[in-house]
Amino acid sequence: MPFSVSVPGCPSRRLRALAAAAGLLLFAASAMGAIPVRKLEWSFVAPDAQAPAADADGKAGQVATYDLPLHWSSVEGSSLRTVAMRLHFVLPAVPDQPWAVLLAHATEGGRFSINGKYIGSISADSEQRDVSWRRPQLLTLDPGLLVEGDNQLLIETTYGPGAHTLSGVEVGPLGELWNSYARLYFGEIIWTWSGATMALLTALVFGALWLHRREAVARLLALAALCWLVYCGTWLVEVMPVALRLSVRVAALAALAGFVATISITLMRMSGLSRRREEWLIGIYAALGPVLALATGLRAEPYLQLSWQPGLYLVLGAATGVGLYRRTRGQPAPHPLVLFAAAALLLAALLDIGSLLGLNSLDGAPALNFVAPLMLVALATPLVDGLIRTMHETEAARIELETRVREREQLLKRNFERLRESERIKVESQERQRIMQDMHDGLGSQLMSALMLVERGAVSNDQFAQILRESIDDMRLAIDALTGEDADLTAALGNLRFRMEPRLRAAGMELAWDARRLPEEIGLHPDVVLPILRIVQEALTNALKHSRARAVRVVLMVEGTGDQRMLDIRIADNGAGISEERVGGRGLLNMRNRAQKIGAQLKLETAPNVGTTVHLRFRIGPVVPSTRAQQTVLNTQAIIERARQQ
Amino acid sequence: MSADQISIIIVEDEPEFRRRFAQIIDSEPTMRLAGVAANKREAQALIDREEFDVMLIDLGLPDGTGIDLIRNVSQRKPDVDIMVVTVFGDEQHVVSSIEAGATGYILKDSTPADVISCIRLLRAGGSPVSPVVARSVLRAIRSRMGGATTSSNTVPPRSANAENNPLSARETEILQLLAKGMSFNEIGEILGISPHTVTAHIKKIYRKLAVHSRGEAVYEASQMGLLKT
Repeated sequence: MPFSVSVPGCPSRRLRALAAAAGLLLFAASAMGAIPVRKLEWSFVAPDAQAPAADADGKAGQVATYDLPLHWSSVEGSSLRTVAMRLHFVLPAVPDQPWAVLLAHATEGGRFSINGKYIGSISADSEQRDVSWRRPQLLTLDPGLLVEGDNQLLIETTYGPGAHTLSGVEVGPLGELWNSYARLYFGEIIWTWSGATMALLTALVFGALWLHRREAVARLLALAALCWLVYCGTWLVEVMPVALRLSVRVAALAALAGFVATISITLMRMSGLSRRREEWLIGIYAALGPVLALATGLRAEPYLQLSWQPGLYLVLGAATGVGLYRRTRGQPAPHPLVLFAAAALLLAALLDIGSLLGLNSLDGAPALNFVAPLMLVALATPLVDGLIRTMHETEAARIELETRVREREQLLKRNFERLRESERIKVESQERQRIMQDMHDGLGSQLMSALMLVERGAVSNDQFAQILRESIDDMRLAIDALTGEDADLTAALGNLRFRMEPRLRAAGMELAWDARRLPEEIGLHPDVVLPILRIVQEALTNALKHSRARAVRVVLMVEGTGDQRMLDIRIADNGAGISEERVGGRGLLNMRNRAQKIGAQLKLETAPNVGTTVHLRFRIGPVVPSTRAQQTVLNTQAIIERARQQ
Repeated sequence: MSADQISIIIVEDEPEFRRRFAQIIDSEPTMRLAGVAANKREAQALIDREEFDVMLIDLGLPDGTGIDLIRNVSQRKPDVDIMVVTVFGDEQHVVSSIEAGATGYILKDSTPADVISCIRLLRAGGSPVSPVVARSVLRAIRSRMGGATTSSNTVPPRSANAENNPLSARETEILQLLAKGMSFNEIGEILGISPHTVTAHIKKIYRKLAVHSRGEAVYEASQMGLLKT
């Protein structure tokens, strides 16, 4: 049934001004404030109805008088009862402004009348519906319904099983009571909604944190927040189908127990006590209440509230006590804010139990409702704090790492420069040694033997010129082999042809040079290039000097790939061939030695009047795409990259 | 002096070789010796005084390198052919001479016939080159292009820096064939041109290399503030 309010007629501006003037004259009447109602007359309406718990002997039609606040309950499973409650208040004068009735804490609704005149209805328990209002109720009154002297507010209501409350009934000017109403509404409803929202956010944030980081404290906090969210939900459901009542009540108990137990375990963990057994015991104890309530169909609930629930708070108290003790001893303990919130939570629990026992007159929402969200905030604070600190530390560590990597990079670069420099010096000195060796073995000894021969007078001019020419040829080979950073065998062989061809032609020999199967460049070390050049030159010189051939054919090719890449050179003439005794001669021996030195195969095929073929095969290996220096640079970069990633 | 005679000056510090070259030219009726110089100073005077078609020059002179003289002559007398006399025809000497403006080189121990035919070839618009020098010219041009300076078996992509590459595709091809040791005849056969056209291409390549390096020198000089802009 919808909440309905009678709307009083609104007086005109002039009338209100008149009323204000009259108010000055009739001070007592106009200054009349809200009147609290302290007593009510209770009478059952249905013939089979029983008295409220306060007076079990009450009979239908009999009138009993009770003081407000009134708490009554009826056992689970009992049927609906209808009751008429009459509340009296005395007015010194009829007010001239809109008045209202405020029910600060009335769990039941009902039909409301003033002096026998209906003023409104609020939903109450029925066969299908279970109602338990947490919000305050405000009903406006037409002042015309009021009379001077005794007035009667009649509430006719029905109620089902469970605990019920009626307290804080006031009659008074609408403006004044509206303020009270708003204040109460905030405390009972808005605050709980806020707590629920906060719990939802906390559960989401720390749930996500737990899922991604598996942080135990985040999980506990998310669990506590979830419990509180459920609890708030059960609190905020004021009207529900009767069938749902049991599950909602059990859920409320379970959520509250879960919340308190989780907070207790969290406090213990924060104190550095992570004991499986105790935690299990707390969990089992917390589950006990809802299980019993469910098993007894809520009949055990009133007893649980007075025994099991305080026991739960005792656990929380113990956990808080341990935390406090450890903090005073300087041992690992919860954050002071957490301890403070835990103490506040305990105090609230104490107040709630007190009000249950009637030790105080705090009605309405449990004090726990106010404090629990603060507990969540207090628990989240050190966690968030720690997270932020971790982020700062991570950032600092990253910056430090970067700095170190940069320093390392510099160091590597410097080392690399130094290495390259020393390598360069080494290469240069090797080069120098090689040139020296070459001069010593080749040109030097040639000139030396020439000198001996000339001094002995054993050579003719032509022979002398021949010796010198050979010396110069040898030097040219060396220069061709040394040209550039990596000697290019292709070009060096080409140069040899370029030089030899006119000479061969002058001797009446045709030189056929087939370099079609040579690559554009063959980069090889001068140590290898020079012997190859010398072998080819020697072969050509032999042909020129001794073969009396008409044609010389040189075929050069590179075949195969990868490691098996072979250089293949054939120098064939159609001359007289090499006689038996000359096969072991000095020139051929030199060729063999040179081939052996670089690991090449040298074959000599000769037949009288058919010709001679010198066949050289040498493994040159795969194409090397880049120089060593570039590779070293790449390696350095790879090292730096790896260091960065770590 | 007859109009069809080739007039030649010789710059050479060693008397033996100076005499030998002078003798070769004197004995050739189509050529005329316009003067000889034994050092840079004399050579400069000779260059200023004489009209000539060909300069034979040794790089190692007692009072400095002949490169300056080559640059001087190639700029002031573009019609003159400059021929470097070298012992080994090695990369270092030849390429820097070409960059300075020389269009040919000859080995010191060449036969008289070689010397004469080489001068004739030069005057006819051609220029001989050995494989190693061809390879060096290719390298020099590639390093200008910002390509690989080391011996890489792959030709750098031509499009990469084509505007810096002064050579045409045909000229590059000829240099590559030369570097492989092919003779002018063989290259002419492969490309379907006459051997003489091959040597003419080489001379063009030399000129381009010289012009190109001169451009670079001017650029560098202006960068260093040596030239007023």
